[in-house]
Amino acid sequence: MLHIKLSSVMVEDQAKALAFYTDVLGFAKKLDIPVGEYRWITVVAPGRDDLELALEPNGNPAGKVFQQAMFAQGIPIAAFESTDLDADHARLSARGVAFTQAPTVAGPVKIAVLSDTVGNLIQLYQPL
Amino acid sequence: MLVDGPTFRRLVRGRTLLVSAEHDALSVRQVAARVGLSPSHFIRMFAALFGDTPHQLRTRARLERAKQLLAEGATVTEACVELGFASVGSFSGLFHRRTGAPPSVYRRAVAAPRRAPLVPGCLGLMSEVPAAAPSNSEEAPPP
Repeated sequence: MLHIKLSSVMVEDQAKALAFYTDVLGFAKKLDIPVGEYRWITVVAPGRDDLELALEPNGNPAGKVFQQAMFAQGIPIAAFESTDLDADHARLSARGVAFTQAPTVAGPVKIAVLSDTVGNLIQLYQPL
Repeated sequence: MLVDGPTFRRLVRGRTLLVSAEHDALSVRQVAARVGLSPSHFIRMFAALFGDTPHQLRTRARLERAKQLLAEGATVTEACVELGFASVGSFSGLFHRRTGAPPSVYRRAVAAPRRAPLVPGCLGLMSEVPAAAPSNSEEAPPP
């Protein structure tokens, strides 16, 4: 039996990424293990342990090219579900988070897009 | 803060100008003018979107170029001159503070035989083994 337990986003700076994903977005740190000059860092939604998100260094130049191209095209690299998108949008905006799309109804979901400040656009969605 | 589509594209263009060696002589104010934003608007939106001020991002980009030059065998002085730093002292100091080692030490480390700088592959860190360079076919085990 296989489980989907781990996903990842590439980040420009792991320390800054950890601060943003925990202090600002509100995830909880799960693992933080030094590996050479980098760290193996994962975060989880608070109170849940069903899926870990690894904050991977974008040290590979190919990764940087991909990441920057996706960003420049305005394409989110990951999506997180919200139970109340308007409330999350207000909370994060108050923290100075930049949104490239305000909450918008798109068919069966409401979506918004934010910048994670470490190289990625992230979509938030709430099933309606 | 909402960054609308046209402003987003201006900021992305500004970022490209800031990190390119070719436009290194442009001041942040000039970059803002080039992309059609006021300096204060540019700096504020830029920091919210990219997590760094334009100046911080440019410094980081210059240090990345310095690493690249050193890895290609340039001397510390050559890298310093190439990147337009005022003195080797200020270059070395900044490099040391930001990367954790003086440029001379970095240069020796990346130039050491058979030791490529650690470049993690996707999920490569999980095994706690630095991602190895792809082995060539002669070294591949027989099927």
